Amino acid sequence: MRLLFASLALLTAAPAFGQDAGQTQFVTTCSACHQVTGQGIKGAFPALAGDPFVQGDADAVITTVLNGRGGMPSWKADLTDDQIAAAISYVRAAWGNTAPPVTAAQVAVVRARSAQPVVRSMQAH
Amino acid sequence: MAVSRRTFIEQLAVVGGLSLAVAGMEALGFGFASAQAAPPPLTGKGKGVRVVILGAGLAGMTAAYELTKAGYDCQVIEARSFAGGRCQTARKGFSHTDLIGHTQVCDFDEGLYINHGPWRIPYNHRSTLHYTKLFGVALEPFVNDNDAAYVYFQNGGGPLAGKRLRKGQLAADMRGYAAELMAKAAGKGGLDLPLSPADRDRFIGYLVSQGRLSPKSLAYGPTEGRGFDVYHGAGLDPGPGKLSAPFALADILSSDTWRALEPLGDHEQQLTMLQPVGGMDHLAKGFERHVGKLIRYDTEVQKLTQGAAGVEVFFTDKAGKSGSIQADYCICTIPLSVLQGLDVAVSAPFKAAMAGPAYAPVNKIGLQMKRRFWEEDHAIYGGHIATDIPGIDTISLPSTGWQGQKGVLLGYYAFGADAARISAKSPADRAAFAVAAGQKIFPEYAESFESAFSVSWHLTRYSQGGWAEWSDDARASAYPVLCEPDGRLYLAGEHLSYLGGWQAGAIESAWQQIAKLHARVNAA
Ligand SMILES: Cc1cc2nc3c(=O)[nH]c(=O)nc-3n(C[C@H](O)[C@H](O)[C@H](O)COP(=O)(O)OP(=O)(O)OC[C@H]3O[C@@H](n4cnc5c(N)ncnc54)[C@H](O)[C@@H]3O)c2cc1C
Ligand code: HEC
Repeated sequence: MRLLFASLALLTAAPAFGQDAGQTQFVTTCSACHQVTGQGIKGAFPALAGDPFVQGDADAVITTVLNGRGGMPSWKADLTDDQIAAAISYVRAAWGNTAPPVTAAQVAVVRARSAQPVVRSMQAH
Repeated sequence: MAVSRRTFIEQLAVVGGLSLAVAGMEALGFGFASAQAAPPPLTGKGKGVRVVILGAGLAGMTAAYELTKAGYDCQVIEARSFAGGRCQTARKGFSHTDLIGHTQVCDFDEGLYINHGPWRIPYNHRSTLHYTKLFGVALEPFVNDNDAAYVYFQNGGGPLAGKRLRKGQLAADMRGYAAELMAKAAGKGGLDLPLSPADRDRFIGYLVSQGRLSPKSLAYGPTEGRGFDVYHGAGLDPGPGKLSAPFALADILSSDTWRALEPLGDHEQQLTMLQPVGGMDHLAKGFERHVGKLIRYDTEVQKLTQGAAGVEVFFTDKAGKSGSIQADYCICTIPLSVLQGLDVAVSAPFKAAMAGPAYAPVNKIGLQMKRRFWEEDHAIYGGHIATDIPGIDTISLPSTGWQGQKGVLLGYYAFGADAARISAKSPADRAAFAVAAGQKIFPEYAESFESAFSVSWHLTRYSQGGWAEWSDDARASAYPVLCEPDGRLYLAGEHLSYLGGWQAGAIESAWQQIAKLHARVNAA
């Protein structure tokens, strides 16, 4: 994982460090569906670019990313508070979006409120 | 102090590790199976009642099959051009276009296939096995556990990190060390076991045989069960051969490879495991032989309305032509990940509950190899290679076509964030990733590779995820709402069961919902 992060970071022009880490996190974990452009895929994956929800109440966005909803996976078992904060901060400020970043501490508060993650075993289904 | 069998087992799990506890459970005859073994008897009236079923996956076809038998007038609407839903198999010519627009046409040799969706049926899924038997779907064993299979963990520490180890050797060592510790402690009275002295000796006897310990010293050491460095054989050379030396306990622990010993702990992973001969889609085809004539293929549901008198389903066919069907009731088996985005007339609480579960990102890739090197060079016949290479997780070797020329193996079976990451690659890059990873474990991998077919279920139209994942919160709040009808609409599918991500969940959910529907029709 760490190696991959490092190599991706080399490839991308670096803005501020925080935003760079956020972009790496987004490209790695979120772009398969929402696309690197943030435009999503019509009828399946919503555009995050220009999306009022993404730029609105931070807790609601954090809850969505932690718990998932339908085709949006739950990330709480896979990502740390730092990683989730980085990804959300990135989508709130990329592609012309203009919402303030969220902190790992904010994610931790919402995480503590929500249920425990599904425990995954190595072999499932 | 009297001790219940259950408490005893729990203590075993604490002091002895899960595998001992599981062995203990089996010895004591605990057994659990999926709750329903046969469809509900639908006696009474059903004749002429019109039911429109959305989705021709296993839940939809189960409902269609059983309701039709009871006299209902069923129609099934299916968006795909084939029946089965997630129960599908890729073989030569099978085409898959994902939501991103990548199209792959499977190019495996005739007779080879990959079950990129469901692939195994545990013996305790009596509902699934009810239909394989009913429809004459031939089964063969699925090797779900193989002592010869490798474990390859690269991210742990110590001398075993990045080495391929035989699972059976690891298991022998962990069992041996755990048994040794327990047997020695029990011998000294150190475990404070609630057992009579005679039973305590029996317990130590059990540990000696489990761990292949020296009966005298209770120490674990090289044993035949763990295997040989030089195989025993004829004459004097190799004669008795040379036993292999155990790995050091600390080395196994620091390498994390002990985690790979878990699979049989899960109820659904227990042996015997079965698979349909020739591909899992033979189960879907079994259903389709009976209900295929009721299915309207290539027809995508867009909207559902309902009123006091019935339901109306609006759809568009492949040519873009729209239409609608009216019926008395609707059974909808469309995954919630997809249904969420459709225009469905339900109450506000029901609508909110539909957002309850999240669907799992899941990747599989089939790799055709021109030579069965895992059998020929490594003596591995089926089973799983467990690995912590991110995005690979499991490499599985086919449980069919033994000792043939070629074979298709499963190159990865990955979930969650790693699955999402790998799925962002093009199909060609996914294959390159899978081959490079497998090469770390098998030197013959890259040179044997011929063609690949990969599916990421979260990027798959009409599925949008491998299966529903319920948090405890959503299970408590949303799930019970969705298990009840909303007006004339009944939901069914794997997502409405505690057997999520299993075909048995889809089938048993359908059984439950049609029983409810039938009771309502008969009460009316
Ligand atoms: C990778 C993987 C491995 C698995 N392994 C196993 C296993 O080893 N053993 C096992 O028993 N189970 C396994 N499962 C689970 C099993 O495949 C599912 O639980 C089961 O097939 C689900 O059946 P279903 O009828 O509930 O849903 P589906 O099969 O998804 O059926 C829903 C149907 O609705 C259709 N549909 C969707 N949208 C629309 C629309 N708008 N209009 C019309 N139709 C629509 C779909 O095309 C589909 O046919 C696995 C699943 C996956 C993904
Ligand atoms: C497997 C595909 C997939 C991946 C990967 C994914 N998402 Fe999503 N996301 C979705 C879908 C589908 C929805 C819409 C869910 C719904 O309402 O049904 C969504 C919705 C969202 C929303 C809410 C948008 C709105 O307007 O309601 C946010 C925010 C979001 N995703 C952020 C992320 C972030 C951040 C990541 C990476 C950590 C991520 N997503 C990864 C599929 C995905």
